[in-house]
Amino acid sequence: MALFDSSLRVFAAAIVLRLALLVYGGWQDANSAVKYTDIDYLVFTDASRYISRGQSPYARDTYRYTPLLAWMLLPTAWEGGSGPLASIAFAFGKILFALADVVAGWLVVQLLCRCYRMSTERALRYVAAAWLWNPMVANISTRGSSEGLLGVLVAALLWATLTKRAALAGVILGLAVHFKIYPFIYGVSILWWWDAQQDGAAPRKDLSLTSHMLGFITRSRVVLSVSALVTFTSLNVVMYCQYGMPFLHQTFFHHLTRIDHRHNFSPYSTLLYLASAGGASYRFETLAFLPQLLLAVVAIPLALAKKSLATAMLAQTFAFVTFNKVCTSQYFIWYLILLPFYLPSSSLIRKPSLGIAAAALWVLGQALWLSQGYNLEFLGLSAFVPGLFLSSLVFFGINVWILGIVIRDGGTEEFRSSA
Amino acid sequence: MKRRITFAQTPQTPFAADLISLSASTLSVQNLAAAREDRITLSLSELPDELRNVLEQSHELRLRWATERSFDAIAPFASRISPGLHVHYTPQAKNESQDSICTLLRTIFVDHEHGEAVVDCTRPEDSFITTPLVSTRFATSASLQYYTRLADLRSLVAYIRRTACHQQQSGGSACHKRADTLLTADSVDIDYDSISHAVTISGFWAEPPADGWTEEVSKSASDNDKVEFGVLTAEKGIERTEIQMGGLLAVVGEDKKMKPTMFSFPSRHHPLPSDATYSVSFSKPTGLHPTMSITMQPPSLQRPPAPEDATCALHTYLTLPSSVFGDQYQLGTKDTLFLQSHHLAALRAHAGEMDLEAPDWAVQRWGSTWLFELDSPTVDEGASVLKNWTATIPLHLRYLPPSDTGYRTAQVPWPVVFWACTAEDGTKMGVNPFDRTNLGWDGLFGPRTMFYQLHPETGRLVEEIEVPVLKLNNGEGLVTAQIIELGTSFVILLGFLWVLWRLIQVGFLKARPGLRERHEKKE
Repeated sequence: MALFDSSLRVFAAAIVLRLALLVYGGWQDANSAVKYTDIDYLVFTDASRYISRGQSPYARDTYRYTPLLAWMLLPTAWEGGSGPLASIAFAFGKILFALADVVAGWLVVQLLCRCYRMSTERALRYVAAAWLWNPMVANISTRGSSEGLLGVLVAALLWATLTKRAALAGVILGLAVHFKIYPFIYGVSILWWWDAQQDGAAPRKDLSLTSHMLGFITRSRVVLSVSALVTFTSLNVVMYCQYGMPFLHQTFFHHLTRIDHRHNFSPYSTLLYLASAGGASYRFETLAFLPQLLLAVVAIPLALAKKSLATAMLAQTFAFVTFNKVCTSQYFIWYLILLPFYLPSSSLIRKPSLGIAAAALWVLGQALWLSQGYNLEFLGLSAFVPGLFLSSLVFFGINVWILGIVIRDGGTEEFRSSA
Repeated sequence: MKRRITFAQTPQTPFAADLISLSASTLSVQNLAAAREDRITLSLSELPDELRNVLEQSHELRLRWATERSFDAIAPFASRISPGLHVHYTPQAKNESQDSICTLLRTIFVDHEHGEAVVDCTRPEDSFITTPLVSTRFATSASLQYYTRLADLRSLVAYIRRTACHQQQSGGSACHKRADTLLTADSVDIDYDSISHAVTISGFWAEPPADGWTEEVSKSASDNDKVEFGVLTAEKGIERTEIQMGGLLAVVGEDKKMKPTMFSFPSRHHPLPSDATYSVSFSKPTGLHPTMSITMQPPSLQRPPAPEDATCALHTYLTLPSSVFGDQYQLGTKDTLFLQSHHLAALRAHAGEMDLEAPDWAVQRWGSTWLFELDSPTVDEGASVLKNWTATIPLHLRYLPPSDTGYRTAQVPWPVVFWACTAEDGTKMGVNPFDRTNLGWDGLFGPRTMFYQLHPETGRLVEEIEVPVLKLNNGEGLVTAQIIELGTSFVILLGFLWVLWRLIQVGFLKARPGLRERHEKKE
């Protein structure tokens, strides 16, 4: 297709798609009682308004993000204008998120071409399908959800890593973890991946255990760790000095103490409802972090990171989301940005029947759960058991199976990143 | 002790002076058809000790109860509250509320069938909500508020029987009988404030018993105890803000005969015509996001007969138990499209449990209150509204504890609906001998606001919502707590091991290419 010959055309189309959605969203907001804009966006903009009045963003209930986000969205608090100017000011955050989408896509295309030796046309094809032209991605950012920002941070992290910019990678990692805790899992993969060979040293053989361990400490690994830690710590210190305990509580501790009892895709959701209401006797749910972190932080990085960093990160994200105590559809966007690195040489594409089966099963699992969710949420039927309980377990099973495929692909010889 | 008995008749009822006879020491009525208010004022020394101790530590304590049946509230008793028990409490000193108020409420209000306290209160700071005040300067309402559903006053009557009646040396059975009359009351108010140092108990009966009121009231034994008696008819006053009352008054034992009387006063609460009604429902299926519909009949939508220069707006005041809640950000929006689609004008005040995520068992306080200004249809001057008008309020349900049916019931009392109109400066509502304040919603308006009450349609004034919950069969059945626990753990462990096995394959068995080839072939 001639369309994919030129990055200009692909990116122009991605931008036009987002602009159209932004304009449409503005129109729907102005003309319908049902709003296009995400409720979370109103939380961010309210928080920005509090900041513009010299107050804490945490004065807004359910603002559970870094103050950075509310600072970035300060233009939305501007109340001077009217008409189109005011609309643009209100949409500033959405424009920023949509722009972040496009930049993330551009970074991925760059990486695919430079580090994965892919032709521009092929790279564009995959990035367009998974990210740039993905209506879900464009919809989420133009509705004003900040998840898209994570996309650009992860893409940038991978770009800085694969282009061997250790200090920059550390800064991005620190920032990403400050923004949304989960990217810390990538830190482990990147550190494991970045051995002396990656820095150009010859492979060493027949070494003793001590020199093996000493050999682990490389300049790049130290620079990356220190810069990530310094970035993360200094951001937190600054925010803590500015906003005190509410910052720490809302951004970090909330995730430890929250009662995640409302129904969601997670296999734990029924158990958590039961446990929260005081009906569980074994308290297995208190151990839920174990399988999740063992896979996402230890086993996957060790087994896959040196073979294919991007696929390892994808598998980590997949495992983290699949085994998480809460899982909502916005989490699925976390691994979309990593798909273009994995898909081109994956068995899902090589064997279309397997790919189609995986996609079909995943959608089926979603549909099964959503139908039960609809029965509960809108029809008021008691669908917790067996409906939601079983469908969340089935969906979990499908995800685990797909994760198994990703891991096997990531471990195969021909799949190695040529970086 | 002072007692005031008022029989209020509508102007349509033929006035029957011959049904009342007054002698030197007794007054008797025979088959009198009228609404009735009985008001008893007691000094602190006349109260049981436990009650007096609590009251002495309070700045003000006001209990408001209304029945779940709809009833006619005629002038001058036109004000309404949502059915159930409302407690308004201000501690003696700020931030020094007493736990004893909770102990007292738990003692008085007991579920007679299960023997459990219906009031879930340990410390006022934890269980009561803080009332929003328009202005602390006026401070017309108490600072802390509590609500619970309470279908009848059997427990209160039992309490009066075993304390107040028990204390009396003589007349025990008369005391029991009088306490029992509260069982048929449509609303009961109990008021105490530290300025008057007196407790007032008022009962209101909208309808007489089947053959009218028949009663003999004797002069009290003590000279300090006074019994006032009146049969009155209320009408609109000459001023639109006023109510005019005429009829007969007497002090039992003092007056030789009933004294004809006629007086008028500005009134805070006014009734609307009896066809100005509203009804409340939830559209089915309610799901987890029930929408409350308030449907008003055309006569409810006419501007009330307030003075020409007064500004009037239609309002509703919701009292929601913690299982049902509103989203203050969704409802507090200034987006006219949203508000208009629900026939709302604005959210004017809200207080109480506002958490958007917490399940019911994680919510400490009893619930929340919401004052909305409603949009009303615009009609041309002189024209009248022809169609019903429905305002809708989107609400949400909290998760409730599991049950063995998979459902639990949330009981939502009907909100009150009224027009609020501004009154002229200098209107003194307090001179009304039947004035009623501290209803929860009146304090959200300025002190010189007039209220025109819409009447709830006949029926039960509590809506029931079926809330889906986790269905758990205790011990038997397909899905037990154990199945959920073990099932979840087993599936997750299996998934974990499967992923781990895959990782071991690619991580450690890579040196054996034969194995991988076999894998490749299998697909």
